[in-house]
Amino acid sequence: MIGVGKMKQYSNVLDKPLSKGKQEVSLSAFAFLFSELVQYNQTQVDNIAELERRLEDAGYAVGSRVLELLCNREKGNRRETRLLGILSFVHSTVWKVLFGKVADSLEKGTEHEDEYMISEKELLVNRFISIPKDMGTFNCGAFVAGIVKGVLDNAGFPAVVTAHFVPIEGQQRPRTTILIKFADEVLKREARLSQ
Amino acid sequence: MANTACFIIVGRNDIPIYEAEVGSAAKREDAAQLHQFILHAALDVVQDLAWTTSAMFLKSVDRFNDLVVSVYVTAGHTRLMLLHDSRNEDGIKSFFQEVHELYIKILLNPLYLPGSRISSSHFDTKVRALARKYL
Amino acid sequence: MAPVGPRSGDAIFSSIDRVNAELFTLTYGAIVRQLLTDLEDVDEVNKQLDQMGYNIGIRLIDEFLAKSGVSRCVDFKETAEMIAKVGFKMFLGVTASVSSWDADGTCCSIILEDNPLVDFVELPDTCQGLYYCNVLSGVIRGALEMVSMKTEVTWTRDALRGDDAYELQVKLLKQVAEEYPYKDDE
Repeated sequence: MIGVGKMKQYSNVLDKPLSKGKQEVSLSAFAFLFSELVQYNQTQVDNIAELERRLEDAGYAVGSRVLELLCNREKGNRRETRLLGILSFVHSTVWKVLFGKVADSLEKGTEHEDEYMISEKELLVNRFISIPKDMGTFNCGAFVAGIVKGVLDNAGFPAVVTAHFVPIEGQQRPRTTILIKFADEVLKREARLSQ
Repeated sequence: MANTACFIIVGRNDIPIYEAEVGSAAKREDAAQLHQFILHAALDVVQDLAWTTSAMFLKSVDRFNDLVVSVYVTAGHTRLMLLHDSRNEDGIKSFFQEVHELYIKILLNPLYLPGSRISSSHFDTKVRALARKYL
Repeated sequence: MAPVGPRSGDAIFSSIDRVNAELFTLTYGAIVRQLLTDLEDVDEVNKQLDQMGYNIGIRLIDEFLAKSGVSRCVDFKETAEMIAKVGFKMFLGVTASVSSWDADGTCCSIILEDNPLVDFVELPDTCQGLYYCNVLSGVIRGALEMVSMKTEVTWTRDALRGDDAYELQVKLLKQVAEEYPYKDDE
């Protein structure tokens, strides 16, 4: 066909080069797909906690792959060994590639040594889904929490990661905070490495 | 090319997900088992060493007679481990880097369960070809 | 004066909000993976993917019509071209082509050059019957139903199954004429 690029055929998928990450789809295409992910999972569960867990599991599958892909492509095969390093990787590199911008903020928890928060005024997955009142505290950000957990766990920084809505004075819509609570072993190792 | 070379990929839970004898020498009957033993013994050393550097290529981490264990640890802590008698460090590094890229492609397949055995025969063919090229 | 024509796929795609295709591809992969775990049976997964696609299609059509500026195509041939040239471009950022028209003009093939649903996907032995991209057939079927065209959409070529492209056969089964708001008989 004149003028139409023909799909390059590779004898095997392993021969195909890794993508440079420049390809895009419409935001609405992602929104429609994500909406189906949520609706499908709603049919599989009895309660909100289970729904969030399933979304988190789906996100985890994305996170574990994104870690390897982005460290290789964006970080010149540099493996993060320190807490702030991996958090920075999530807040900047992962966020920038997946959501088109670095996260709004990365903060250390004030009450607990093992807690950190990544916040976003308008998290992508919460932009186009409005939660019905009878679903209480359900947050689609559970999917993103799963992505973060997938990255952290596989990088050797196990953590409990959850998504929360935080109302902001003067703003109609709450912001979303991804709360990361690191396992003891992570803090112990950090202390050891800091010496 | 290395006479003896045993290559394994170990997943995060310390279970091997791929193994290949890639040296050129004739194989002893118990070679595979011996090699597995040596490589597994090295895992603890690797675990500690991995946290001391952000480099993925850890060079040689352990020895057994005239055999050396070289390791490459990916961002997700998948360990590429090579037991070999060769001294070609550059070749070994290139081998690891190219296998790493193949591994990422395997991982990107959503139908591949991370931590499970890599069953792709194409992967095996390509790894062996890389071994012939670099080791 | 001739009316302003519909916007090209490229023009629309440049003007809308976009996201990294990898987020999309990996999320789709996670969905397929989840379905396989839950349903176990490959045929059930195919059905579910088609259903999801249908749910998307019936909603996506509004955005398509609004952004493309296209008035409802009465002609099936024109419709197929719009799907391939505008639809695929504005949502998936890729172009498709239309071919293999039958004599009646009621059946054709839509061929995908590039497929952002798929990246490094390889079907394991246990999933040989899986139509990994089956969401697409549902989307087309659902969208067309909303513009009064009942169709049957099937895969004739699937690169994941060893073919050299992704090809969907779209067969028009029934086209209901545009209905006026006030019906004479009912």
